[in-house]
This record gives sequence, structure tokens and C-alpha cells, in this order.
Amino acid sequence: MKQIKRALKMHRIFVAQELKRMMEYKGDFIIGMIGFLLIQTSNLLFLTLVFSNIPSLMGWDYTEVVFIYGFSLIPKGIDHLLFDNLWSIGHFTVRKGDFDKYLTRPINTLFHVMVEKLQIDALGEFIMGVALVCITIPKLQIEWSIAKVLLILLVIPFATLIYTGIKIATAAIAFWIKRSGNIIYMFYMVNDFAKYPVSIYNNLVKTIITYVIPFAFTAYYPAYYFLTGEAPLFNIGMPMLISTAIVALSIFIWNKGIAAYESAGS
Amino acid sequence: MSRLLRIYKPFLGAGLQEATTYRGNWFFGLIGEVMACFVSYFIWKAVFLSSGNEAMNGFTMPQMTVYIFLIFLTSLLIGSGGTYDVGEEIRDGSIAMRMIKPISYNATFLFQELGNKIMTVCILVLPLVIGVEIVRTILTGSVQFNILQFLVYILSCVFAYLINFFFNICFGFIAFIIKYLWGANMMKNCIVGFLSGNVIPLAFLPNAVEKVFLLLPFSSLNYTPVMIYMGMYTGKELLFYLGLQLFWALFFWGLSKFLWVTASKRLCVQGG
Repeated sequence: MKQIKRALKMHRIFVAQELKRMMEYKGDFIIGMIGFLLIQTSNLLFLTLVFSNIPSLMGWDYTEVVFIYGFSLIPKGIDHLLFDNLWSIGHFTVRKGDFDKYLTRPINTLFHVMVEKLQIDALGEFIMGVALVCITIPKLQIEWSIAKVLLILLVIPFATLIYTGIKIATAAIAFWIKRSGNIIYMFYMVNDFAKYPVSIYNNLVKTIITYVIPFAFTAYYPAYYFLTGEAPLFNIGMPMLISTAIVALSIFIWNKGIAAYESAGS
Repeated sequence: MSRLLRIYKPFLGAGLQEATTYRGNWFFGLIGEVMACFVSYFIWKAVFLSSGNEAMNGFTMPQMTVYIFLIFLTSLLIGSGGTYDVGEEIRDGSIAMRMIKPISYNATFLFQELGNKIMTVCILVLPLVIGVEIVRTILTGSVQFNILQFLVYILSCVFAYLINFFFNICFGFIAFIIKYLWGANMMKNCIVGFLSGNVIPLAFLPNAVEKVFLLLPFSSLNYTPVMIYMGMYTGKELLFYLGLQLFWALFFWGLSKFLWVTASKRLCVQGG
């Protein structure tokens, strides 16, 4: 309990520090957010243009596809907002020998890395996701129940941790090979598949994004449950289970990596 | 000419060395991008299956498949990172060191990047082109490869690269106004990606919009070379678009020179 309290306090301090830094560069924040909004707008334009040629995509109509797309941006945006610093571990922190600084401080290295930065640009992604979900919901025929809403809200943090876990594990590879930025990128790119209905892929891709790099659980399966109300055990239970397993595994890999770490310093 | 080569050969070498040092990283990044190609492939497959039509806006499914992978290949060939190189130097002030050296600012970047590209070209072009051709032959039932078309494609790629290179250099000067290069670059990439047909073939846009986009410099980047490879442009049309590419290449070359002169006058570097 005491430890959690201390961690929360540290987190507050780090975030306050970040916010101060951000206020110094307000322009950056606006540019970054517009950038992310633009990317999402361009993808949305793509969907709209495609749907102007077809009535439905393998049985999914425009609103449903946009809903799944929007839903996928929510966990992605949260992870991006809170834990973006992991990218820099893979890209340069370890390679430049800057990682030593984390080792000399009296807090857990992983915790320190994760709370050190706030990638406020990601709000662009997150806001877009929430907006798309809110716009599409009235147009969808959904059977509402309190349990459903609660389950969906509950699954979002777990979906977020799937992203985070995969990033921790792949960033930790840098402890052995010094530079793993593009390995993170490679795994991360798989999430592109999960933004669209999984039924459009062939079995190989389906298996990979469900069981190997399980991004499908960050968006498609929970969204599917929300749309149809079918199989909550699989669509909601599995993301939670898998997310917990991934986070545990990634922490294990991180700790192994720390043990194997040799400074690249100069 | 030989003097030029003697001066800039070290930059070529440095670029190549850079590329080979981090080849593992480069390779993994590549796989990430190939994955994105497959996402669009599956979406288009589903789209064509759902539409029930043989062709959409002049594209059949085999053509769309070829289009996706050719756009990928072309992006690799013409990709340019000038924005960062210039922008970072403006930001940290090392641009001042460039000014006191008796060599061309643009040319050093150009040669360094070409050196960096040698590896991409050597390792990827042949397998990708062969792959695309095999897929094309299987899907259409006859050999589609045309050596003349391919050579014009390469020429078009050279123009496209020069446009992209000088455009990115010009954009790098934005560092005078915006210090947050990463964000500015992301915005640029996103807009250019859409305007150049990376996201969706320009033929899918409303007619009037397509006409405007085709005249903008960005369609000259990816779209024109790919259309040439696929044999969509012939005769007068082909000459027109090649001419347009040449025009934009010269335009951005001139603009980068102009910006450089202007920038040198107002550059103010803090500290050293």
C-alpha cells in the first residue's frame, strides 16, 4: 500500500513536470495534435471513398466499420499518450548510453521509463476515436444494457495494456542488441490489421493477429461484442486474460534485459 | 565532373556505411511497412469481393494488387529524409559549419542519401520487380513486362526522387518557424501521402478533385511512376506527365536555392 502511494505520488510529480514543459512549447502540442488528427482523417477519407463504391464490406456496413475503427483508436491513443517513452528506449536511449540514468535512481526502472513522458499529441488520436464512436453509436442498432457498457469500459484498460506490453517486451530487446526501435515498429504495425473487421483477412493473418501478436483483441473482438452482444466470454474475457499474460511476460523480459544490460556509454 | 565526384564521393561512402551499419534495424522497419501493404491488399480484396464488379474506376483486382506493391517499391526508391537533415541542423546550429565549407549544401545531402539508397536498390528492386511481375503474370495469364515501360518508369522515378529531395529540403527550412520537426514532418507526410496516391489511387477521387491533384507536384512523386509502370499512361499523356515531373523538379530545385540564400542572410545561431 505504501509503495503504491509512493508510486502515485511520483507519477504526479513526473506529469506535473511534463505539463510545465509542454506549456513552454504550446505550439508543438497543437502541431502534433493536428498531425495525428490529419492521419486519422486521411484514413477515414479512404474508408469513405471505398464505401462510395460498395454497399457493404463483406457484410459490414459503413457505420459499423467506422465504429470498429474509432474504437481501435481509444486504447491505442491511451497507450500512446501515457507510455510513448518506450519508443525512445528502443530507438536511442540504450544505444547512446543514456539508460544508465534510470539505473542510478531509487525507483523501478520500468516504472520510471513509463511515467517519465506524456505524449500529449496522442490526444489527437484519442479524441478522434471517441468522436467516431460517439457519432456512430446512435446510427447503430445496439441492444443496450448496463452490463454491456460496464464490460466495454472495463475492457479498454486491458486493451491498452496489450499495446503497452508488446512495446515493453520489444523495447527491452534493446538491452541485448542496443537498438530495437524498428523491432517495436514491426510489431506495432500489426495493429493496423486490427482496425478493420477481422473477417476480411485470410486464416493465416487471422491466426496471427488473434493468437501470436494479439492486436485483434484491442479492437475488433470487443467492438464485435458491443455490436452483436455475442460471446462475451471470448470477446471480453480473452482480451483481459491475454493482456494480463502479455504484461506479465513483458515485465519478465524487461527484468531479464536489465540483468543483461551493459552500458553503451562513452 | 571528375572533380565533382572526387569532392562528393566521401559523402556517398558515408551514406552507404550508415545504411550497412544498421541493416538489422532497416530490415525490421521494412517488414513493418510490408505489413501495411498487406493490410491494404486485404481491404481491397474484400472491397472487390463485396462490389461484385470486375473493375472499379478503371482498376481490376490484379491491377490494384500490383498498384499497392508498386507504390511501396516507388516510395522506397524515391523516399527522402531531407526535412530532418536540414531542420535538425537549423535547430542545433550546425548549419553554420556547412556555410563555411566550399561545397554545395544540397549536394552533400544528395550524395549522402544516394549512398544510403544503394543498399535499398541493390537488395530490394530486383526481388520486388520480379515478384510483382510473377503476380501479374499469374493473375492476368500472360506476361505483362515491357522493358521500355520499365525504363521509362526508372526515368520517372529519378525525376520523382529529385522532386521529393528538393521538396523535403525546402520543407526543412520550416524549422525556422516551427521547432517541432517531428510533428511538422508527420503533418507533411500525411498530406503528401494522400495527395500522391499512397492512400488511395487518385482515380477513386471525384473527377474534378482528381484533375487538380494530378497537376499538383505530389502526384508526380508516386502516382506518375506507378501509372507509367502499369501502362496506364501512353503517348501524349505520358510525355505530358514526364514533362510535368521535370517542371516540378526544376521548380523545387530553384526554390531550395532561393530559400538557402534567404536563410543564410537571416540565420542567427545561438552559442556554438
